[in-house]
Amino acid sequence: MADYPTRRNPRLILGVIITTIVILVAAIAVVNTPANVTLRVYTYDSFLVWGDDPDTIDQRVFGPFERAHGVNVEIVRLPTDASGIVSRLAAESSNPVADVVIGIDNILVLEDIIATVLEPYTPTNLSLIDSQLVNTLDSEHYVVPFDFGLVTLIYSKNTINTTTHPQLENLTLSALADPELAGVLVTEDPHFSSPGLSFLLAEIAMSEKLLGQDWDEWWIDVNDYIDVQPGWSEAWSKWYEDPTRHLMVSYGTDPAYSSYITGAEPDTVAAPFYHNGVDYAWMQVEGIGLVKNNPNPDLAKLFIEYCLSPAVQSYISLNQWMFPANMDVELDPVFDYALHPDDVELLNDLLLGPEIKANKTSWLNQWDIIRTG
Amino acid sequence: MRKRPLALYSAISIPFLVLIVFLIYPVLRVLIEGLLLNTGLSVSEVLESPVTQRAFVFSLYQAFLSTMLSVILGLSGAILLTRLRFRGKTLVRSLLIVPFVLPPIVVVVGFIRMFGSFGIIDSIAMVLTGSTETLIDLASGIPGIVLAHAFYNVPLVMLMVSSSLERLDPDIEESAELLGASSLQKFRRITLPHILPSLLASSLLTFIFCFMSFPIVLTLGEGRYKTLEVQIYDAFRSFDFTKASTVGILQVLVTMGLAFAYVRANRRQNVGTGPTRSIKTKSFSQLNPITRVLAILYFIILCTLVVGPIASILQSAVYDPVTATYTLDGFTNLLRIGTGGGFVPLINSVLYAILATILAVILGIPLAYSRRSKGKVLPSFTSMLVLLPLGISSITVAYGLMIAIAVPLGLTTNPWPIIVIAQTIIGLPFSAKSIEVSLDKIDNAILENADILGVSRTQRLMFVELPLLMPGIIVGAVFAFAMAIGEMSATLFIALPQNFTLAVAIYQNLIVRKFVEAGAASLVLVAICIISFLIIEHLSEESIGGAV
Repeated sequence: MADYPTRRNPRLILGVIITTIVILVAAIAVVNTPANVTLRVYTYDSFLVWGDDPDTIDQRVFGPFERAHGVNVEIVRLPTDASGIVSRLAAESSNPVADVVIGIDNILVLEDIIATVLEPYTPTNLSLIDSQLVNTLDSEHYVVPFDFGLVTLIYSKNTINTTTHPQLENLTLSALADPELAGVLVTEDPHFSSPGLSFLLAEIAMSEKLLGQDWDEWWIDVNDYIDVQPGWSEAWSKWYEDPTRHLMVSYGTDPAYSSYITGAEPDTVAAPFYHNGVDYAWMQVEGIGLVKNNPNPDLAKLFIEYCLSPAVQSYISLNQWMFPANMDVELDPVFDYALHPDDVELLNDLLLGPEIKANKTSWLNQWDIIRTG
Repeated sequence: MRKRPLALYSAISIPFLVLIVFLIYPVLRVLIEGLLLNTGLSVSEVLESPVTQRAFVFSLYQAFLSTMLSVILGLSGAILLTRLRFRGKTLVRSLLIVPFVLPPIVVVVGFIRMFGSFGIIDSIAMVLTGSTETLIDLASGIPGIVLAHAFYNVPLVMLMVSSSLERLDPDIEESAELLGASSLQKFRRITLPHILPSLLASSLLTFIFCFMSFPIVLTLGEGRYKTLEVQIYDAFRSFDFTKASTVGILQVLVTMGLAFAYVRANRRQNVGTGPTRSIKTKSFSQLNPITRVLAILYFIILCTLVVGPIASILQSAVYDPVTATYTLDGFTNLLRIGTGGGFVPLINSVLYAILATILAVILGIPLAYSRRSKGKVLPSFTSMLVLLPLGISSITVAYGLMIAIAVPLGLTTNPWPIIVIAQTIIGLPFSAKSIEVSLDKIDNAILENADILGVSRTQRLMFVELPLLMPGIIVGAVFAFAMAIGEMSATLFIALPQNFTLAVAIYQNLIVRKFVEAGAASLVLVAICIISFLIIEHLSEESIGGAV
């Protein structure tokens, strides 16, 4: 429709429109040609993108597997998190296209829907992974551990420290309820964020199991002071940019990242919960699993085994900033700055799967009632 | 009316079929399956839950506030825009379309930089008062939500009202002046009745948009404020399909109830629009001093609200906050193919949006005709149906398209046709409405002349009606294009990496804190829209010779 003349054959105009549509469709079809894929792996948007060269990471990590088996592996980073991936798998369950999924954690795996979208599989090399870690994630092996991290509070020494706030040294839940600290805390909405949900469960475990008090009291106390962001990225932006928010719910490996980026002593410090001389944190274990009725089951099983081997596990620390599930893998020295599982008692041991499964909906509902009240 | 041939009826039925197959069927399937699955809470428990009730009340409350603010600012803006004669009016008009295409997640970032604590406004206030503490935070809670909604909807009200105001007959105003009417009387008796239909239509759209708002409320609401749409999204994520359906039905009842009331109100007071006229305009120097001050004040408010956040987004395209340096890396990334590269999303955005726009116009023409047809049922039914895409939760539509269309047809591994369909459907209300407005203006005598001269039906459509409809088609195309290229909810859920659009790429970049890449992609998105607007406008002037 370059210009609209006074007279022109209607057939010509129709022809132009139809040709335009055909050309557009053809052009899209060319641009959107799906890669020649043999194995499709669904994962979340930030999978292995935090390293030095995220553009070539898939090639480096999974290339050897592709060459060994003469296949083409596509790591499909969906623009969502693990819950969104499970929603998609549920929508696709009548005609699955993905073979493997990476990123389902020890809370998400408790959902009933997992059994309709995943198939239990015990990799032949599962002995590479500590059995306690395997059981913390899922004793039925719908997913097996890929990586793990400790969810904890972090702060930047430049803005707040143990000199200005001595209570950070041994951070108790009641100290954190004080408006002075609650007022600088940013966390994530447990409905929309896995570290946010991990933090809620950590708080419930601390309150109910260690302090013997109702878990919702703390949230009622801090409700007017804390900042709740929908996801980890938004919370990080607040923590990083807003000069009034110094404490954030994040991961115990952040000090290691901070040191790696600056090449110096880390500016970021992890502050685990403290009670009666012991530090506590919640462990998030992210798993890898087999999609139910997937197109390439044999290859998918080999792939899962490959992912537990050092060939993949050695890339996790510096590209994902989580601990590799395979604990034989050597860590970069900067991980000395991270909060290690040995440094803390795991709150997961106080709040077990069945109890979480039975109460999660009502806890989240109660959280909403407090938060929107 | 002459007897309608079969071809005409089939032409009219095509858009209905499209809407039934790609909107009503998938959505009904999701809603019904959700109710039958019985996950978690029962329907009555969901409705009785204080969480649902608070979300319901809050959705209405913030939508009301946002609509009030948008109408107040949009109406005054529309009056200024039409009355005032100034250079670059066309450019201002085309810039007004920009907010539409910006994904909410980008707007939120721009808003925090402009209105947040230690943002631009706050910094100015701190310098003025010499304070070291933050003074103003308008980017969170209810003020943030309402302002962000106004950012999107003030331009919408301005565009819709000003296009109707421009057709106000200057003779009527002159007569009123001669008869000694005051400005207020003139506004109440002449201007207001003239623009009322467009004011109502734009208020309704604004209300529905804000009522169903999702990313803005999610991000600025700090978990304290949630709309029904946020609850639906949450329900899908936690696989509570019964809750998703229950809340989804509650939401669609409200939006369609409003649409129904609007359609009925509109039918009753159908103000006849006369032949095309142009309103009287004044230059700035002709205004009286008070009006001048008000106009300047308004200009400052509008710039702060709309231009401010956009400017801060554009700045982020070249400024890397981490290293505090200026860089063009964001733009080179847009030319890069491969993981994280912006080239494929850029091409996808343009191609999908052009195709969706063409389809929205082709489908919009029969819809416009059927809305103007004789009888009572068909026009009202069409009007409701056309508003449906705006009144249904977008996550429900996305999920429905996935389970009802993409998966059974095996489109899951390359679902681009589904994305184009979703983008077409979301643009359809705008293309149909604009074409209908043009259809109203067609003088029936011309059509009768054509018939008397014995032209065939196709000739009449091609040589007489379509050229007369061109202004509406063009405005509709602009809106449909903007809606399509800015669409995010459905694309986000359906797309695989090879189908990502710029809107999705921006979201992805923000998630992994690549601010420069996100900023550059936003800038290009804005540029594409302005360019396409100017091209379309240029084409329209050539083709219709200033008949607008």
